[in-house]
Amino acid sequence: MEWVIDTHGLSKSFKRVDALKSLNLRVQKNSIFGFLGPNGAGKTTTIKLLLDLIRPTAGSASVFGLDTVKDSVAIRARIGYLPQEPHYYEYMSARQILNFTAHFFFKGPQAEIDQRVAETLDLVGLEDKADRPIKGFSGGERQRLGIAQAQVNYPDLLILDEPAASLDPMGRRDVLEVMDRLRKYTTIFYCTHILDDVQRVSDTVAILNHGELVAFGPIEDLLAGGEGVAYEVKLKGQTDSVHQLVASQPWVTGIQSKTTNGLTSWTVSVSNPEAAETELFRLLAADQQVVVTHYHVKEYELEDVFLRIVEGGQHGH
Amino acid sequence: MVTKERDATGNSMMKLVTGEDWRRGLDNLLRGELEHWFGTRTWWTQILIWALSVNLIYLMVSLSARNDPDFESIMIFNIFLGLAGPIGTCIVMQMAVVGETRAGTAAWILSKPVSRPAFILSKLIGNAIGLAVTMVLAQGVIAYLITVLVLGVALPIPGFLAGLGVQMANIFFYMTMTLMFGAIFDHPAPVIGIPMAFLFVQQFLVSLAPGLAKILPWSLVMPLNNSTELPMSTALMLGEPVSSYLPLYGTLALSGLFIVIALWVFQRQEL
Repeated sequence: MEWVIDTHGLSKSFKRVDALKSLNLRVQKNSIFGFLGPNGAGKTTTIKLLLDLIRPTAGSASVFGLDTVKDSVAIRARIGYLPQEPHYYEYMSARQILNFTAHFFFKGPQAEIDQRVAETLDLVGLEDKADRPIKGFSGGERQRLGIAQAQVNYPDLLILDEPAASLDPMGRRDVLEVMDRLRKYTTIFYCTHILDDVQRVSDTVAILNHGELVAFGPIEDLLAGGEGVAYEVKLKGQTDSVHQLVASQPWVTGIQSKTTNGLTSWTVSVSNPEAAETELFRLLAADQQVVVTHYHVKEYELEDVFLRIVEGGQHGH
Repeated sequence: MVTKERDATGNSMMKLVTGEDWRRGLDNLLRGELEHWFGTRTWWTQILIWALSVNLIYLMVSLSARNDPDFESIMIFNIFLGLAGPIGTCIVMQMAVVGETRAGTAAWILSKPVSRPAFILSKLIGNAIGLAVTMVLAQGVIAYLITVLVLGVALPIPGFLAGLGVQMANIFFYMTMTLMFGAIFDHPAPVIGIPMAFLFVQQFLVSLAPGLAKILPWSLVMPLNNSTELPMSTALMLGEPVSSYLPLYGTLALSGLFIVIALWVFQRQEL
């Protein structure tokens, strides 16, 4: 397995406040790695440590097998970075910003650089505003420019801090498309609060809370794990007797019930999925006093997992 | 959104910037600084501001002294440039580092393959060139024309240029001091406040401890109390002998020290 990012006990304290506590993280090559956590969880601190903008209090990190402190310039030559709140020189135009950025990586030929800049402007849909000073750019346009400058060097690792922030739904969709398209060329490590986006494009996820890694793994494992299997059922009619019957089954671990407008909704948690698969619907359908209107296995959303882990403070390693 | 699929060679068509030493990124950063000075209206607004602050006064003094020209007129030019220059320098330089660290542009730049010394040196060299052209050279040319056309005196050009060089050394001292405080503090108030305070307190320091005049920039551009000696810049412009170049060497040595401290501090700064 080839690891692009590898951290060992990476820690950072600011004036006795532990912003990051002994982070052990591995990011696989060509993955889209979603790095999640509430505000102040330590996500941006981790990114700044990887870029050597701040130094670790303890532990170490390597990117492309190079040490983030000793070999920082060599690492940054292969990285593209979009900060959470991108700030550029306001007197420059978008084209000038990209040209300026490109010259940190390339000496020339200028015609090739100009072509790369034009392609990148096209990629983020800023070609018609390319020569205006960025002073008048909206938040969304700045974000697009941020993505453009992060990928003008065709980086081996793209680090994006809230890439879809300040974008409208179409802009968000475009950014996700770009990320998906870039997957075959690069590894993408990105922080976000938009969990839908993570679920849509990421293959691996890590959740950070209070500076600690509380969950880490392939997204399918994270969605499948945790609360176990549950069934969502909606019933019409008198449910008391069937409730008693279902609750008495040894493979049922709990029933959450809610009644709205004569319709009863259950979430039935089970300990034995095979038994539940064969028995549960049969029990419900056999009861003459109820009609089953909905019946399906509950699909967990990343948001459920995230909230459970973050609010419950559970450790999901 | 349309995108061109990139070919398998990726960046192979490009000539890559190589090297990981302290100079990495310096060329590009310096180009950016000079573009800011000379590719925008900054250069001519600076020339205009300093022409109004320094040479307008020199013109008025020269007009009143044109029937009896003496060394005092050119000394007044030197005194005004010697005071207004550092004030302007502190204003220009105050945001060079602290402004960029606070705004986040420093973090953006340093997320690219750029060394921290290159970042500091680009601020120093870029602004030194900008200030040398707009504040010293352009004002020197205007002052020379006033001297010739109004006072009717043609000062020797090499001596005049040497005097401007001494003015630049004085400005460079405040540049490096402001740069150093920009690396040390994360708020603009002390970055501009301390060098400004030093500029005005210096005259009392050299009065209280005359030995300090040998290493501080005051006597480069200002007359010393209880002394008949001309300031070094005035003496050079008038072709008069200079008793000691020690204040020039002291000023340059202190400027060098400020640069070293700025580089050392910024290398460790968290962005």
